[in-house]
Order: sequence, then C-alpha cells, then structure tokens
Amino acid sequence: MASGIVIKNLNVNLGGNRILQDLSLTVKPGEFIGIIGPNGAGKTTFLKALLGMVPVESGTINFEGGNPQVPGSSMLGYAAQSRQIDEEIPLRAWDFVSFGLPHLFRPWLTQQDRQKVREAMRVTDSERFADKAIGKLSGGERQRLFIAQALVRNPQILLLDEPTSNLDPGAQENLAEVVYSINQKLGITVLLVSHDVNLIAKYAHRVMYITNGQHVLGTVKQVLQSSVLTRLYGAPVEVLNIGSKIVVLTSAANNLGTSLCLHGCCEPEVVNNVSL
Amino acid sequence: MFHYDFMQHAFIAGTFVAIMCGAIGVFVIARGLSFVAHTFSHIGFSGAAFSMYVGIDPLNGMLFFTCASAMIIGRLGIKKFRTESVISVVLSVFLGLGLLFLSLASKQANAISSLLFGTVLGISTAAVIKLAILSTAVLGVLVFGYKMLSFDSFDPVGSQAAGLPIRFISVGFLLLLSIATAEAVQIVGALLVFTLMTIPAAIAQRLTQSISQMIFLASFLALVGVLLGLVLAFYTKAPVSFFITTIEGIMYFITLGWSARREHRLIRKRQTAIL
Repeated sequence: MASGIVIKNLNVNLGGNRILQDLSLTVKPGEFIGIIGPNGAGKTTFLKALLGMVPVESGTINFEGGNPQVPGSSMLGYAAQSRQIDEEIPLRAWDFVSFGLPHLFRPWLTQQDRQKVREAMRVTDSERFADKAIGKLSGGERQRLFIAQALVRNPQILLLDEPTSNLDPGAQENLAEVVYSINQKLGITVLLVSHDVNLIAKYAHRVMYITNGQHVLGTVKQVLQSSVLTRLYGAPVEVLNIGSKIVVLTSAANNLGTSLCLHGCCEPEVVNNVSL
Repeated sequence: MFHYDFMQHAFIAGTFVAIMCGAIGVFVIARGLSFVAHTFSHIGFSGAAFSMYVGIDPLNGMLFFTCASAMIIGRLGIKKFRTESVISVVLSVFLGLGLLFLSLASKQANAISSLLFGTVLGISTAAVIKLAILSTAVLGVLVFGYKMLSFDSFDPVGSQAAGLPIRFISVGFLLLLSIATAEAVQIVGALLVFTLMTIPAAIAQRLTQSISQMIFLASFLALVGVLLGLVLAFYTKAPVSFFITTIEGIMYFITLGWSARREHRLIRKRQTAIL
C-alpha cells in the first residue's frame, strides 16, 4: 500500500545556514518524484527531514495513514547515499538485506522473514549474489542491496539518495529500471534524489529542483525550462535538448569568475567534468 | 590435572570467559573499539587496585570502574571526533587513580603482578560462579540484541536510517564491553585482554562467510587458546597468559600467511584465465 506526504512551509537550518526555505509539496500515493539540484543544495537534508534525522525549524510534514517516527514503524524505507561497509567483514548480501527487517529482539528469521528477504532480493534482482560477501560486490550490486534492505520492511514510501551515483551508465539505467518497477509494480511511492536529470526525466512523474534554499516543482517539461531555472538560480541558465538528452547549462557569476556547467552530469560548480 | 580444585575452577571460568570474549570481540572489531577494550582493561586494573585498598572482591571494583568509565565515554564521546580524546582523558584519570590506590593499599609485588597478568589459577569457587553468571548474561544480551547490534555495527548508516535507537545501542554495547573486560582481566590480566577480545575475531574474519560463523569460530578459537594455555601452564609452570597470547598469536600469523597465499593464488588464477 502506498502513502502520500503533505509538506507545508518546511524550513530547515543547519549550522546557521538556511538549507530549505518554505518548501511545500504534496506527494500523491504511488507517485515517483525526482529530486535534482547541485551539490549542497539540500536534497539529502530534505530526505533526512522526512526521516526525522534533522531538526525542522518550522513547517509541517504529514504522512497519510501513519507516523513514521513511531518506534517500530516501517512506513519509510531509506537507502542512504554513502555507507561505511568494511570490505574485509564476511557480511553476506542475504544477511545485509535481512538487517532491514523490522523486528529487533529476535535473533533468528522466521519463514515469513525469509520470504520477505527473498522477495526484496528478487524485486531488486540481487538474488544471484545472495551468498556473496558484500565487500566483494560491485557498486551497482551494492546499490541493489541497499534498496532491497529498505524494501524488506514493506515500506509505503521509498526514499533513495543518489543510488545511481558512481555507477557506469549501463548500471545506472539498470538500477533506474529496478526503482521504476518497484514504483509501478508494487505501487510504492518513490522519492529519488539524483544528479542525473535524464534518468529522472525518463522515469519520474514530477520533478523537484532544489538550489540556494529555493525549489521549483512540476513535470519535467514544466521545471526544466530556461526561464524557470534562471529564476531559481538567480543567474542565466539554459536548458538544451541534445538528441534524447536534456542538458542544463548554468553560467553562474561567482568569485571564481564565470563558470559553465552541464548539469545533469556534474555539479554546476564543476567546469571540466562533463559527460553526456 | 583435573584432580586439583584450582584447575577445575580455571577450566570452568576460562571456558565461560573465552566464549564470551570471542563472541563480543566480533563486534569490538566491527565497531572499531579495540582501543576502548584496551582502555577498559587498564581501567579494570585501577578498579582492582581500588578493591585492594578498600578490601573488597577485585571483580566488584573492576566492574564498578569499567562500567563507570563506559558511561562517561558513552555520554561524552558520542561524536566521533570527540571519542578518542574523551577515551584518553578517562584512561589517564582512572590510571592515575589506580596508581594512587595501589600505593595506598601497599600490597606486595605479586598482587600487582596478578592484576596485570591474570589470576586464573588462583580463582575461588565464588569467583567462578560470578564469572559464569556474568558471562552468561553478556552472551544472553548478545543473542537477543544480535539483530540490532549487527545492524548498527556493520551498517551504521542503514541502522540510523531504519530508526534504530543508535545511542542506546552504543552506550549499551560499551557497558557490555566493560563487563566483559572486567571478567577477562581475571583470566589474562589487564595488559593482555586484547588477546581474547581481538585476535580470535580477527582470525575468524578471514576464515568465515557470515557474521554468525564469525562469532562461533571466534569463540571456539578463544576457547582453544585458553584451554590449551591452561594445560601447558600446568605442566610447564610458566604463566597461563603467556601461553594464551602465544597460541592466539601463532594462530593469527598462520591464518594471515594462509590468506595471503590464497589471495596470491586467486590473482595468479585470474591472470592465467585472462591470458
């Protein structure tokens, strides 16, 4: 069962910096929302605010059909951006996924638990390396396990923080397909943070672009427009369609001079790290 | 050998403590708490010196000191950048206190030596019972807290995201470790607690395929070291701690050599396949 979220005038301050400002968003049950923006824009902070991991200065977050902050709630599933996995530890993929099961004090797995783990691994296409040590797996395989661990709790909402970063284009596409099928077949609401605007454009129902504490929300066509992003950045931004790809060019006057960036493949501040 | 009461006591106490140390050692390694375990053992020494001074059971003094320091480190050292300095300060303060109590107690050198290197061959029936109960309690908490502890130890980011009570787990584990260390000090002494807490788990890490296997193997290896050490000490009259540390050390280096050879062979196999 999917759940929706109603967020009103969300303000988050971290270390004296305004990270999110008056963010309002209604996520419909079963919706796939893509969240994009440059590094440090507040995308991860937004997900953490939903999880209750960062303090909210003002505003409200209401989840339809429950409260994820209640101990033992498995309403939200979260796959974090970076994980500290010791490569030497003999931690099997199967065990790693089973960590996500909601029970806390039972050291063994019931038949039902095993079924849940199997199902989460099947959905994320990670069954084939269930017995392998997680330290020996590739980045793409690990990301599938991170999603499977979040999924094994049977969440109503899945929050994914840059699951495709550091993956090659083929692995990115495969993982995005997995996430899309979770959203479509299981009907789980998905909020996906990514740097790759094209990946978001292909699968998300709506896009939220966050930068400088501001945000803009709408369909891909509505958001990824030169006029909209220029207003958001407060600097000239151009959105180009090259073949089937969308490229966002920002020309941000800053202390370093004028920088040119292709967003969607790199951060706006980076000039010479462009890939299509 | 088993006709002697002191050997029976040593075998029983050693078995309980070894199994517990092997099991908890897996989490000590996963959580990067080797230095904390070392710290607790030194603080345990101070606790024992305090016991000498006030005339109580050394285990009680050790438990009191190690648990108190676990609470202090747990409360003040939650933030990672602060942990190391808090541990150093707590260790310094408690060691200073230990020296003070030792000088006030004015005991003989062999009493100090027992504290530093263990007293397993002179352990009383009451102490054996106490160690057995404490070890069973620690193992019980490890069994029922296995899921939470494993999740938080091997995937701290994931456990926080899943809403686990990470602060409670951190402080709880430090308390558990402080109890385990106070017990292990009785067997191998304050200076050598490292042996049972880290070496068996480090060996098991290289030889097993899962966390549960790692726990069982680490406990087994700790047990082998303790029991064999007791037998050798009985027949040679050399200190038990010496044999325990030597046996564990030899097992570690053999494993290290074996895994290096295995990795080398795997690399050569891959290279041959590519060619």
